[in-house]
Amino acid sequence: MRASHLLYLIVFSALVSAVFATLLRDDLRARVRFALGAFGAFVLAAIAVGWLMYPFPG
Amino acid sequence: MAETRPAAALRARPAAAVPACLLAWLLPGAGHLFLRRTGKGLLFLGAIGALFAMGVAMDARLQMYIGFDDPLAFLRSLAQMALGAPYFAARALGFDAGLVTSVTHEYGNTFTEVGGLLNILVILDAFDIAMGRKP
Repeated sequence: MRASHLLYLIVFSALVSAVFATLLRDDLRARVRFALGAFGAFVLAAIAVGWLMYPFPG
Repeated sequence: MAETRPAAALRARPAAAVPACLLAWLLPGAGHLFLRRTGKGLLFLGAIGALFAMGVAMDARLQMYIGFDDPLAFLRSLAQMALGAPYFAARALGFDAGLVTSVTHEYGNTFTEVGGLLNILVILDAFDIAMGRKP
């Protein structure tokens, strides 16, 4: 499998968001809204934390 | 219209709680399929199954670790074991060692461990449905 950090992040976020939305919301409309919000939060938080860590040496 | 708690309680099947939880552990989503929550069951099967399959494809380490001298290894092993039959089948098929030098090794570990942790929540959800606490 070809390594792409962003692709893995997006796939992971989509799958986990779908499971959480199905567990925590009961109707389809609320599930979709929750899943989109959680997916966006996962991806944006990971990118934001990545940029915050950028100045620090590895 | 929001469902009232007494209406959900009417459909409680306490006798189904133990088999539903066991099935949910053996195969992600199977507990919900057993309780006739087909949509939820198929989504859990697809999403958690995909997390596990992709984790194995990314060279995750599936070796069982029992003991407290390395608590983190013990906890991650427990998380993977929560996936049930797919975990033990993958081990039996020889995918247990993983490949620590692979660039995706840690991704694979994360995918498989999070899949197992999500399956614990799915098992608890199946229990709540069987007890009539959730629709």
